Amino acid sequence: MAPETILELKSVDKHFGGFVAVDRVSLSIAEGEFFTIVGPSGSGKTTLIRLLVGMDKPTHGDILLRGQRINDTPAHLRPTCMVFQSLALFPHMTVGENVEYPLKCRNVDKAERRRRAEECLGLAHLPAGYYDRPVTKCSGGERQRVALARALAFDPEILFFDEPLSAIDYRLRKTLEKELKDIQRETGKTFVYITHSLEEAMIMSDRIGVMRSGRLVQVGSPREIYKAPNSRFVSEFMGEVNVLPVTPANGKLMCEPLGVAFDPPPGEAVRAGSLVVRPEDMRFVNGGPPPNGVIEGEIFNEYLLGSRVQYQVRTRGFTLLVERLRDAEQPDRQIALSFTPEDSALFPE
Amino acid sequence: MRDSAIIRRLLGVYVTLVVIVLYIPMVVVGLASISRSRFFVFPIRKTSTKWYEDTFDSLQVQEAVWTSVTIAVFVAILAVVLAVFGALAYARYDWKGRKLYQKILLVPVFFPQAVLGLALQLWFNSVGIQMSWPATVFAQLVWIAPIVTLIVAIQAYGYDASVEEAARDLGATRWMVFRDITFPLLGPGIFSGFLFAVLLSWGNFPLAYFTSGADVTIPEWLYGKMIGGYTPMVPAVGFLSVLAGGLALIVGLTVRSRIARVQ
Repeated sequence: MAPETILELKSVDKHFGGFVAVDRVSLSIAEGEFFTIVGPSGSGKTTLIRLLVGMDKPTHGDILLRGQRINDTPAHLRPTCMVFQSLALFPHMTVGENVEYPLKCRNVDKAERRRRAEECLGLAHLPAGYYDRPVTKCSGGERQRVALARALAFDPEILFFDEPLSAIDYRLRKTLEKELKDIQRETGKTFVYITHSLEEAMIMSDRIGVMRSGRLVQVGSPREIYKAPNSRFVSEFMGEVNVLPVTPANGKLMCEPLGVAFDPPPGEAVRAGSLVVRPEDMRFVNGGPPPNGVIEGEIFNEYLLGSRVQYQVRTRGFTLLVERLRDAEQPDRQIALSFTPEDSALFPE
Repeated sequence: MRDSAIIRRLLGVYVTLVVIVLYIPMVVVGLASISRSRFFVFPIRKTSTKWYEDTFDSLQVQEAVWTSVTIAVFVAILAVVLAVFGALAYARYDWKGRKLYQKILLVPVFFPQAVLGLALQLWFNSVGIQMSWPATVFAQLVWIAPIVTLIVAIQAYGYDASVEEAARDLGATRWMVFRDITFPLLGPGIFSGFLFAVLLSWGNFPLAYFTSGADVTIPEWLYGKMIGGYTPMVPAVGFLSVLAGGLALIVGLTVRSRIARVQ
C-alpha cells in the first residue's frame, strides 16, 4: 500500500509585487518521507518553505495538510515547525528552556516538560548534562542539535529545515547529515529539507525536487535525478557535466567544434541541442570497437577527489572532464575518449 | 620601543590633565559648599557643615527634590513604554512611513531646549493645559523619549529577528512572544534607557523652567537661588544633586552587570 499523502501543493504561486517568487508549484509529499527541495540561491526555495510553514500566504493555489486547506492558518496554529537557517535559538535561555519552549506554550506541566525535553535531547544526541547549559555556551554543532531537539519537542506532523547546516564545517556537516537521516528513520516523521547543496540532498533524501526561478522543474529519487535529469539545468546542477553542442547531420549528431559525430541517445530523435555526458561516463578507448564517435585529446591536468581522480582533457574544441576511480590504471597523456549513447542525454537548450 | 614608551607616558599625562580640567568645577562646587562665609572666596579660610544642615532642613529643597523625583520617575517609565514600541517600529517592522519616522525621530533632540520649552509653553497655553509638573513630564518626554527609543532600537538591532518567528512557529501567541522573547532580549536596552531617562530628567533645566509653573525642580531652585539670594546652599544642593545622579548611575550599572552575569 502506498503511504498516505501528508502535504499537497496545488499550483501554488507567490508574487511580490510584479515578481513571481514561486510559480505554479504542484507537489505531494508522502507520510514519513524525507523530501528535499534543491535549488540555487534565488530559485524561490526559501519563499516556498515560508509558505509551507505558514509565515507567508500563497498568492494563488492551495496547500493541503492531510486534505485540509491550510493556506490561511498562521504558523503558530499549524502542527508543523521549522528549523531555521540561523537556528533562531533563544539566546537568553538554557538548552533545556529552549527545548521546553513549545511545550510551555501548550501549558504542559513542568515534570512532563522536563521528561520530554530530555528525551528529545537524547534523540538529537545531546547528553542530558546539557539541560542547564546556556545556549550561548554551546558550539556550532551542539546548537544544531539543540535546534533539532526543540523542533522534535514540538512533535510536529512535518518538520521543515531551511538550510540549517550551511554554516557548519564540512566534516561536522557530513556527520550531522547522516544523523539527521537516522533520526528521521527512527521517528518516522516527515522531513522537508531545503538546501542549495546537491550533495546534502543526495545523501539524505528519499525524493528530491529541483527548483529553478520559482518553478519545480523535476521531482524524483536522488538516483532518478542524477541518472535521468529532464533538462540541461538539472543535469548541470546535479554535478559537473560535459556539454557538447550538436547539430543533426546524416542521421547523427555532429559536434562541430570537435569535428566528431555521435549516435543519439536511445529513443531520442536527431535534433539540434546539447549532448550531456557525466565525467564518470566518459571512457578511454584503447583497442576494441569504440561505443560511439571518438574524441582525440590530451590530458593536461588531474585532480584527486578522494576516491576518484578527475582528468581535464584538452581536445580540439574545448576541455572535457573525465573521472576514474583512484586506483584505476594511469592513462597515457595522449588519449581517445568515447561514451555509450545510453550514458548521454540530449536537451534542446 | 623607547619612543612608544614616551608616547604612552605623554598620553597618560594628557588624559590626566583632561580629566582634571573636566572635574575641577565639581571639586570647586564641593569646596564652595563647605565654606563658612556667605560668599565664595578662595582659598577657604574656615569650613563649616552649616550649609548642609540648612539644606536638609529646608522645606523648599525637600519639596524641590520631591518634584524632581516625581517628574523623573514618570518621565522614565513613560519614556520606556513609548521607547519599546517605538524601537520595534524603528528596528523591526516594515511599514509605510518607517523611513520618514526614522529620520524625524530625533528632531526634538536637535531643537535648542530653550526654544523647545518656549514652544511647548505656548502650545500648552493655547490648548489650556496648566503649567505644573505634569506639563513638565510631557515636555521632557518630547525630548527624552526619542533618545530612549534610539537606545532600545540599538538593542533591537542587536539580536536575530528570526527568534521571534521561531517562537511563533513553535506555538507562541503574540503576547507570549513579547513576554518570553522580545521583552527579555530588549532588557539591557530598556534598563539603560530607563537609567538615561532618569538622569536626563533629573538634570534638565530649560524644559522645566518653561513648563513647571509654580512647581520647582532642583535645577530650577538652583537657578532661582543663583540669580537672587545666593548662599552656599546652592553649591551644597548642586553637589548633592551630582552625588545623587552618580549614585543612581553606579547602582544601575551594578545591577545591570549582576543581571548579565546571572544570564
